[in-house]
Amino acid sequence: MAAIDFDKPEYYINRECSWLGFNSRVLSEARDKNLPMLERLKFLSITSSNLDEFFMIRVASLKDMVHAKYTKKDIAGMTPTEQLAAIAVQAHELVAQQYSTYNRSLLPLMKQCGLELVTEHEKLTKQQKAFVDQYFEENVYPVLTPMAMDSARPFPLIRNKTLNIGALISKKGEKEKAKAEFATVQVPSVLPRIVQLPEDADGKRSVILLEEIIEQNIDKLFLNYNVVCAHPYRIMRNADLAYDEDEAADLLKEIEKKLKKRQWGEVIRLEIEEKMEPKLLKILKSELNVKEEDIYRISGPLDLTFLMKLYGMEGMDKYRNQPYKPQSVPGMNDEEDIFTQIRKGDILLHHPYMTFEPVVNFVKQAAKDPDVLAIKQTLYRVSGHSPIVAALAQAAENGKQVTVLVELKARFDEENNILWAKMLEQAGCHVIYGLLGLKTHSKITLVVRREEDGIRRYVHLGTGNYNDSTAKLYTDCGILTCAEPIGEDATAVFNMLSGYSEPKHWNSLVLAPLWMRDAFMRLIQRETHHAKAGEPARIIAKMNSLCDKEIIAALYEASAAGVEIDLIIRGICCLRAGVPKVSEHIRVRSIVGNFLEHARIFYFENGGDEEFYMASADWMPRNLDKRVEILFPVESPEIREKVRHILQIQLDDNVKAHVMQPDGSYEKIDKRGKALLCAQDYFCEEAVKLAQTAPEEGKSRVFIPAEPIED
Amino acid sequence: MVDFGFGKGKGKESMSIKMFAAVAIGSTVTEMKIFEFGGRKAMKEIECVSARLNIGVDAYNMGHISSEKIEDLCEVLKDFRRIMLGYKVTEYKACATSAFRESRNMLIMRDYIEKQTGLKIDVLSNSEQRFVDYKSIASVTAEFEQIIRNPAAIVDIGGDSLQISLFDKDKLITTQNVRVGSVTTRERLAPLTKNRAHFEKMVVEILSHELAGFGRLYQKDRQIKNLIVIGGGITELTHPYEQQNKKITSVTLDQFQTIYDRIIGMNPEEIAERFEISSEQAAGVVPSAIFCKCMMGDFGAETLWIPDYSLCDGLAYDYALKNRFIKSTHSFEEDILASARSISKRYKCSQAHIRNLEELALQVFDRMKKIHGMGKRERLLLQIAVILHNCGKFISLEDVSECAYNIIMATEIIGLSDVEREMIAYTVKFNTSRFVYYDELSVRTSISRNEYMSVAKLTAILRMVNALDRTHRQKCKNAVVTLKEHELKITVASQEDLSLEIGTFNEKAEFFEEVFNVHPVFKQRKQL
Repeated sequence: MAAIDFDKPEYYINRECSWLGFNSRVLSEARDKNLPMLERLKFLSITSSNLDEFFMIRVASLKDMVHAKYTKKDIAGMTPTEQLAAIAVQAHELVAQQYSTYNRSLLPLMKQCGLELVTEHEKLTKQQKAFVDQYFEENVYPVLTPMAMDSARPFPLIRNKTLNIGALISKKGEKEKAKAEFATVQVPSVLPRIVQLPEDADGKRSVILLEEIIEQNIDKLFLNYNVVCAHPYRIMRNADLAYDEDEAADLLKEIEKKLKKRQWGEVIRLEIEEKMEPKLLKILKSELNVKEEDIYRISGPLDLTFLMKLYGMEGMDKYRNQPYKPQSVPGMNDEEDIFTQIRKGDILLHHPYMTFEPVVNFVKQAAKDPDVLAIKQTLYRVSGHSPIVAALAQAAENGKQVTVLVELKARFDEENNILWAKMLEQAGCHVIYGLLGLKTHSKITLVVRREEDGIRRYVHLGTGNYNDSTAKLYTDCGILTCAEPIGEDATAVFNMLSGYSEPKHWNSLVLAPLWMRDAFMRLIQRETHHAKAGEPARIIAKMNSLCDKEIIAALYEASAAGVEIDLIIRGICCLRAGVPKVSEHIRVRSIVGNFLEHARIFYFENGGDEEFYMASADWMPRNLDKRVEILFPVESPEIREKVRHILQIQLDDNVKAHVMQPDGSYEKIDKRGKALLCAQDYFCEEAVKLAQTAPEEGKSRVFIPAEPIED
Repeated sequence: MVDFGFGKGKGKESMSIKMFAAVAIGSTVTEMKIFEFGGRKAMKEIECVSARLNIGVDAYNMGHISSEKIEDLCEVLKDFRRIMLGYKVTEYKACATSAFRESRNMLIMRDYIEKQTGLKIDVLSNSEQRFVDYKSIASVTAEFEQIIRNPAAIVDIGGDSLQISLFDKDKLITTQNVRVGSVTTRERLAPLTKNRAHFEKMVVEILSHELAGFGRLYQKDRQIKNLIVIGGGITELTHPYEQQNKKITSVTLDQFQTIYDRIIGMNPEEIAERFEISSEQAAGVVPSAIFCKCMMGDFGAETLWIPDYSLCDGLAYDYALKNRFIKSTHSFEEDILASARSISKRYKCSQAHIRNLEELALQVFDRMKKIHGMGKRERLLLQIAVILHNCGKFISLEDVSECAYNIIMATEIIGLSDVEREMIAYTVKFNTSRFVYYDELSVRTSISRNEYMSVAKLTAILRMVNALDRTHRQKCKNAVVTLKEHELKITVASQEDLSLEIGTFNEKAEFFEEVFNVHPVFKQRKQL
């Protein structure tokens, strides 16, 4: 049998195309008639913000490559230029689908639900018009800054991602078409995008968008001019920050500097109202230096992220999913301190089905516990008023030694992180910023405690960030343990992150960028060997993205050897499933649901001696080569069974799962004749049940007072 | 040992757990290990932090460490101190080795670092350092005892020298310092090197020459089957040979040859990448591997043992032994004495005379404890002084004291600091020559007043007991020493004529009385 070349480009899918496919799957949720109206709006809004980020990061960097005449082909054999062309086609399709969903399904649905969005100011009733005009006078007009362009005034700076109204104006009295000038005004981001109109007689609610209010009153901005036409537009600029850490003496300053620069940059996308006057478009196109393929003609309001604001509207609960309350963790109680509970055995946390409280409490209790000597933690993205950050500061004030690794390079979060870093330093924490050139993406907390029989280390390892807000929305797993091998490794991790030498050996943890790739390769290849030897061989891997070529090739090799492989990948997947002789034994499914699937779980059958792992890393080159990530084994037998159960339920999902077809597209499962199973709903219900039964199992001890002996 | 002054008073001090930090400032690596004693395990390493700081290159080449590197070192040590505080460490020992010893401005530099970091730093002499290194291996007691049952050599590869210690039948026979080190070899030979094969040839030439001398003197016809190598950064090479149940990794001659062949052609960058070590460390690996190869050949070694223990382990082990947190079946004092005895044998000292004197001297020392107030360490020094007191005769019968002094000062006695060695040399010298008082002595020596007092006391004891075996015929066996008021009575049961001994005794007793204000009396009991 001739050896198969697993590196052939046709076996791989371009990651950008795959990502756009993922966004389509999110969009399919917005089209799902089984979902409540507001939930559908939310998903549409998410596709819109997703797409913005995609342009700013991915498209921008491809544009940079094209400018730099970089022609290296990607995993699927495409040059940057080819990729941009493919993206343009797919992105235009996606946008078209977004707006057809919006116009054809959601707008009518909203109206049905008693919430009307007045799409054009021309459609306002007389009464509404009066309200709008007054609103404009009182609230909007004072903050508007119209800007005109003529020979004396250059084209103004249009800020990234802002919504603007472009207009052609001509001096009153002159012939209109003779000399139209360009003017522009930013739709103020300080004002709410959605303005509620007064309820009409039958109590129907209606809203209008801020830009419509401005358009309605645009004449008032250019008093001596006639407004020939006015249309909204929006631009997207290159915002990919490539930090040069070698040069930046002070990382903090460098990032602060870059933040100010971010608003300048090449325009990589121009969104305009579909019916924009060609003359106006021509001016924008030339002044902003945009190519035709980068122009998106939109049949509806630009920037659909405003829909998220509608999602939170009061009095519309019946159009939203019942909010899910994360349940208490089975086996845990409020009576004993968390350290005692961890000593009884490792604890698995499955968010958001189970509450994030234990993680917060872990740090909170450590801050107060007199026996705790030190707390060390990595912080990647923290929430607005993070109770964890507060607890860390408190711990430092209580005299604990607190070491916090603050990752400044968390995308779009730098400003936030710099703030925390400074605040923690002031509180007396030892703040470190990680290793030069490597993002610290691992999620680990170490509590060192001095106990009767010596130092004991408690560790939390997780797949998701220490962010109590996202822990309600992202599905993640975590483990609380005081296993000595893990404790020792955790100490070594923080020593390494502080710039000290790596330990002589690791007990349990595997770190990227040095060892994780090799470890995964070994684990995959071991299955290949088992399959070849006729032993049971199976891989189940759940992650957010898979785009590492070496790993994919190893998976193809494993599949070719007969290893059964199930991949549960929410987002990008450059692996092509079901290719004859290459990936016949590989199945890829993507679960897109109410919660964002975020956990990374790995299962290897290993000839019967099964191994379970969890990690902070995806199978992406950036995770394996450019970040500090942690892969940790799941060793407790009970937790292994729980993890197996989690994977199995996800594999059985036939409601929210999309299965990859050999052509790389995804399709939902044919549900005919099957009992419906939605993994996320299942876990929600299961968690509620377990939380109810749990207290009985671990019932706190109650002494029964003795009764006097009766005569 | 220095007490931080915390960890006492409040808190759960009922806990019998002791936290100790060992800091080792080496030529290429500065390391700290924190140990816990009396917890779930008798001795347990709970933290290990190390930073690569190549201060050795500066010291060996320029004679001082550049201020930039001193600053780096201070930063690291400050951080270490912070980590110690984090664990509520109550005692620590911070030691520097050859890089500090080789720096001309050592005292100034040390003072600066101590003030900057708040850590007290001991600069170990070569023999102290090697002794601690040796203890680090001995800390893995069972396996160590097993290895040294057969002829074995412990080779400690340092930046500027090799220390070769020879064992046979559980006992240390000798320990020698060879001035060929992994850093210095590379630094000195690099300019002369044509290619890698040439470098290998030159290193082999230099070392073989040194080893030939060693072999003639000490190895003789022994086949040293086991070679234990510490330092030199070669532990990384043998990782694949690690065995789960063995604490000390070992490879056979053939296995080592395989490793050697693989790396000998590599440049440091390749080695660094291949074995995932720093290029600094990798640069020392090739010379170290050549040393091992060369010695295995010359000694006839069949197994190479590579314990992955460091100075820090030794310091902690030492601390634990001293504080009785752990017990060792192996006696390290015996090792020191064994190496002293092997020196005395080399200089043809009368062993019977020495044994007789040792017994007497120690008896006197023990009876006089309340008066002289000296401790265990001085007792050991006395014993070594007795063992070496006659070595000068090997060179000249006329100028015994000066020759003995010079021999001792030029000989490394493992386990002793330089000051202790000097104390022994003076004790031996004053045994037969005029005692020099401090005002005069202090011009020539660096020993302190306290140390001088010990020298005086040890001299007084040595002089007196030496008189009792004036004839070297061990007439005064089974002596009984008693102390009553201000009289020290030495009773000897002997049928022989002791007039010569009595005469000498009275002469030497004078100094004894001067030092202790105790009058020694010599009594012969002819009949029992």
